[in-house]
Amino acid sequence: MSNLPMVKAEQVHKSFGSLEVLRGIDLEVASGEVMCLIGPSGSGKSTFLRLINHLEMLDAGRVWVDGELVGYRQEGDKLYQRKENEICAQRSEIGMVFQRFNLFPHLSVLDNVTIGPIRVKGANKSEAKERARALLDRVGLSAKVDAYPSQLSGGQQQRVAIARALAMDPKLMLFDEPTSALDPELVGEVLEVMQVLAEEGMTMIVVTHEMGFARQAADQVVFMDEGRVLEAGAPDAVLGNPSNERLRSFLSKVL
Amino acid sequence: MGAEEAGISASSRPTLIKAVPPRHPWRWVGVGALIVAVAMLLNTLLFSHTQQPHQSGSRFGWSIVSQYLFTSTVLHGIVLTIELTVVAMAVGVVLGVLLAVMRLSKSPIISSVAWVYVWFFRGTPVFIQILFWFNIQALYPHLTLGIPFGPSFVTLDMNSILTPFVAGAIALSLNEGAYMAEIVRAGIISVDEGQAEAAHSLGMSRSKALRLVVLPQAMRLIIPPTGNETISMLKTTSLVSAIAVVELTKAVEEIAAQNYQTIPLLIVASLWYLAMTTVLSIGQYYLERHYAKGATRALPETPFQKIRSQLFRFRPTPAALELARQDP
Repeated sequence: MSNLPMVKAEQVHKSFGSLEVLRGIDLEVASGEVMCLIGPSGSGKSTFLRLINHLEMLDAGRVWVDGELVGYRQEGDKLYQRKENEICAQRSEIGMVFQRFNLFPHLSVLDNVTIGPIRVKGANKSEAKERARALLDRVGLSAKVDAYPSQLSGGQQQRVAIARALAMDPKLMLFDEPTSALDPELVGEVLEVMQVLAEEGMTMIVVTHEMGFARQAADQVVFMDEGRVLEAGAPDAVLGNPSNERLRSFLSKVL
Repeated sequence: MGAEEAGISASSRPTLIKAVPPRHPWRWVGVGALIVAVAMLLNTLLFSHTQQPHQSGSRFGWSIVSQYLFTSTVLHGIVLTIELTVVAMAVGVVLGVLLAVMRLSKSPIISSVAWVYVWFFRGTPVFIQILFWFNIQALYPHLTLGIPFGPSFVTLDMNSILTPFVAGAIALSLNEGAYMAEIVRAGIISVDEGQAEAAHSLGMSRSKALRLVVLPQAMRLIIPPTGNETISMLKTTSLVSAIAVVELTKAVEEIAAQNYQTIPLLIVASLWYLAMTTVLSIGQYYLERHYAKGATRALPETPFQKIRSQLFRFRPTPAALELARQDP
């Protein structure tokens, strides 16, 4: 069972109109592994991440999460689009953290974290609140439980967003450039939370430009460019001694 | 020396600027003209006497106004006006949300049905729609319930169901639905797409995301124009006076038809419409405030809170400020 990859992508293709964003992606993320996706903007990293929880539909190929085909059901060699409630069930087990936080501005911090468990999983209200307080404590925001998102700094908002995703007990966490919209001095507090999460054994796919984080936390670093995977491997191998010319020029610009 | 005098020296506090503000002579001319105009208005409203032969009293007939302000015909009219407004707005809002969601549907058929609805009901005068529903028994004398193109179970006489009040309520509701649809749609579109995506990523269905995340945020944009619509509806109900529904306007018309005091009775109606729209405006203010939660860092003070905080705020007098400046 533990040999089964948490995420498996096979020949994934995706186009927006005439623009080919992904041109055959093959990737595997083992359970408990942290994978960092790096690459220039427009290389398809975010699109690939969004395919994993079916926020985008793929054009060709297959994506499995925990052995289950995402968005489709296969019977024989025929594919059926999954119904909305099945897709929702799949998504509820995958946490996602967005570049622009996307907290719900009309809800307090606590309600942001409890809305998923209560309204999607049907959790008991007082238990969900207790759990949310514990999670907010973990990301260092127990004092901000009653605040509204607009009263928080970007770093605080992103930590709430992480707590909101964790409240669903996901088996996989997707991070879409979680620190790109933050002021430089606020990046550290978010990365710290992610680092702890990685050490605790959460399976994570992180689209990032933070090479320090990739080096420190990742088990696997994947370099994408123009919709293809150009390099994949251990952080030291990919970041330390790149053989690929494009990766080398990318790293020289980022570092 | 020079710096010392201007108060820039390191130890002392900066000298506060005392400058002569610019003068606005034309503003004073305008104020004067306005005072004269308001005085003329008050004079004609309150002190000028009637020009009608064989009558005395003020030109506007204030004694007649006060005489009819609370008569039962007028009060009954007000009740009908309120009923029509409440029904039309309630149905209109529900219909509007439904049509807005239909407009945003991925199915082109559902979306175009909503479009055609809005096109039709917004494109014809509401007065004609009222007359249309009032006269519908000429088109369909009977209302029949049954299977389409099949047997019928119940047949009702259209005249007995569609009383003038019902006809008016239906016409106003369906018309309002078209306008509300556009208001709700604008509100939904204004909410950032990332909000729905975040809701979906938690496993919410489209309808849950709409109900729990998108619509509550859209409310902030939906409420001000809806308040506007409600106030507008309150007055539009006067059109059903044409189909013999004795709401406020028809009520004063009927009284005026007997005593020929048209102007005083129109004033009676106006005063009541003003009173009702004032109440609605206050309600709208508090509703807007409720839905501003999270959108602004601090909620604005209500008028009462403003008065209270003004009364009890500590305001340093110039003398106290001077004292504080001298004290190092």
